[in-house]
Amino acid sequence: MGTRVLGIVALVAVVAASLNALFLVPADVNQGDAQRIMYVHVPSAWLGYLSFGVTALAGIGYLWKRDLRLDAIAVAGAEIGVMFTAFAIWGGMMWGKPVWGVFWQWEDPRLTTTALLLALYLGYLLFRRLTDDPHRRAARAAVVGIVAAVDIPIVHFSVEWWRGLHQGPTFGSPDKLLHPAAPALFVVALVGMVVAFTLAWAWLMIRRYQLARIEWQIEEHGRLGRISAARRAARTPVAPTDGAAERV
Amino acid sequence: MNDLRAGAAVALAIAGKDARAELRGRQIAGSTLFFATLVLLLFGFALGPDARRLAEAAPGLLWLAIVFGSLLTVARLHQLEAEDGALEELARYPVGRHAIYLGKLLAGFAAILVLGGVLLPVVGILYGIDLAPAWLALAATLTLGAIGLAAVGTFYAGVTVRMQAREVMLPLLMLPVIAPLLLATVKATTAALAGNPLGDLAAWLQLLLVFDVVMVVAGATTYGHLLEE
Amino acid sequence: MENLGFIVAAYGVILGGVALYTGLLLRRLSAARRASLQIRREAESAAPPAPDRPA
Repeated sequence: MGTRVLGIVALVAVVAASLNALFLVPADVNQGDAQRIMYVHVPSAWLGYLSFGVTALAGIGYLWKRDLRLDAIAVAGAEIGVMFTAFAIWGGMMWGKPVWGVFWQWEDPRLTTTALLLALYLGYLLFRRLTDDPHRRAARAAVVGIVAAVDIPIVHFSVEWWRGLHQGPTFGSPDKLLHPAAPALFVVALVGMVVAFTLAWAWLMIRRYQLARIEWQIEEHGRLGRISAARRAARTPVAPTDGAAERV
Repeated sequence: MNDLRAGAAVALAIAGKDARAELRGRQIAGSTLFFATLVLLLFGFALGPDARRLAEAAPGLLWLAIVFGSLLTVARLHQLEAEDGALEELARYPVGRHAIYLGKLLAGFAAILVLGGVLLPVVGILYGIDLAPAWLALAATLTLGAIGLAAVGTFYAGVTVRMQAREVMLPLLMLPVIAPLLLATVKATTAALAGNPLGDLAAWLQLLLVFDVVMVVAGATTYGHLLEE
Repeated sequence: MENLGFIVAAYGVILGGVALYTGLLLRRLSAARRASLQIRREAESAAPPAPDRPA
């Protein structure tokens, strides 16, 4: 019930914040209307990174407690995270073409780090598919997730360094919105979008988590069904030896 | 303290065993070298014949060849145990799992170091670069880079060792993670060869060092969970 | 609005994508719930009657 309310609130928030970002907020002096794209790009990137953090932490939690519910959180974070990360890159490219003149800019630390984040996510998800046993899968995924998460700050830092050393022409930076001197209206619009998107993210995470748990139960049932079927096949067709009830 | 010594002894024993296996199976180690050299040759075809362009690209091409060679190396080092189920046997011993990881890391490091050491003069010849004046910086870069590649590679080789699609999963998982290493080693190599005009060599080497430390620690602490199955 | 194409492309894909994912997620969820319910019913009806054990 609470989740449903969250969902409705999130929906309203996203619609309202988007309308504000598209029509009410004034255009930027330098970047023009293209700057509006930042209002969807930044929240997407934020959620991409947040999800990854959740996945990594849930992985650590699983290794500690061996509770598959934590693994369900991890997979929810990965699936939703890969989506928002892809959107972040898309938004970055759509912003880049009008503002930079190019779709891609190697020295932008955010763009390149996010691209690698996407690669790490996809690897993680693919990796999960190749293991059937739930506990083994959870343990391996946790381990892969942790190492990947540890890599992200290093990547970001190294690309920043990369940019710093290359004496290139100054280009419009997406950081502008986050600068302390940014006009209040812009900040409010951005914060509104971030909050709205995060509410939607929370709702999606809950639902995806629920799905993961049910799917795991179905999976368990399938496995147990095969096991008991095998046991039945192994027993003699005559009456069971000890008369005990068959439990699944 | 005894634990530390026991662990170190195990690590060295594993490294020694792997190294001896490598030397004995010279063909396989040799073919990795051959493969990496071929990669360099093909790069020459792809980007040549303009000597200046090749010389500019040389650090990047060198390290790409080393990275590809490392993929084969770490995969092979885990293959040795996987086939006999020996990894599970090793895991049963009470010694820290870190020791197993570090032992394999050591072996991988040595192999990659040798690989890089051979490829450097090859690059010098094929792409027309004088390596001699920068040899110390190049050696440092190679050493730090090899540690990082061995650390990450050993970890992911352990992760994928018994999986179905491991030939593609290993590179797929490993390559994004080593992107900063690739960046740093290439930048450091470029700086070293140019005589460090911007003074950034030390910075890139520091980044490499940080990467190595982080990855070795992360790998050592999590590797144990892989063997616990 | 200038650069309208890029803005539409950005918002369209992102907001539309989230909406699409939401729809698919809800569909998967209801399918899973149905399957899970089905399994539970089968388990209940297939459970053997109380065993006649010797006391």
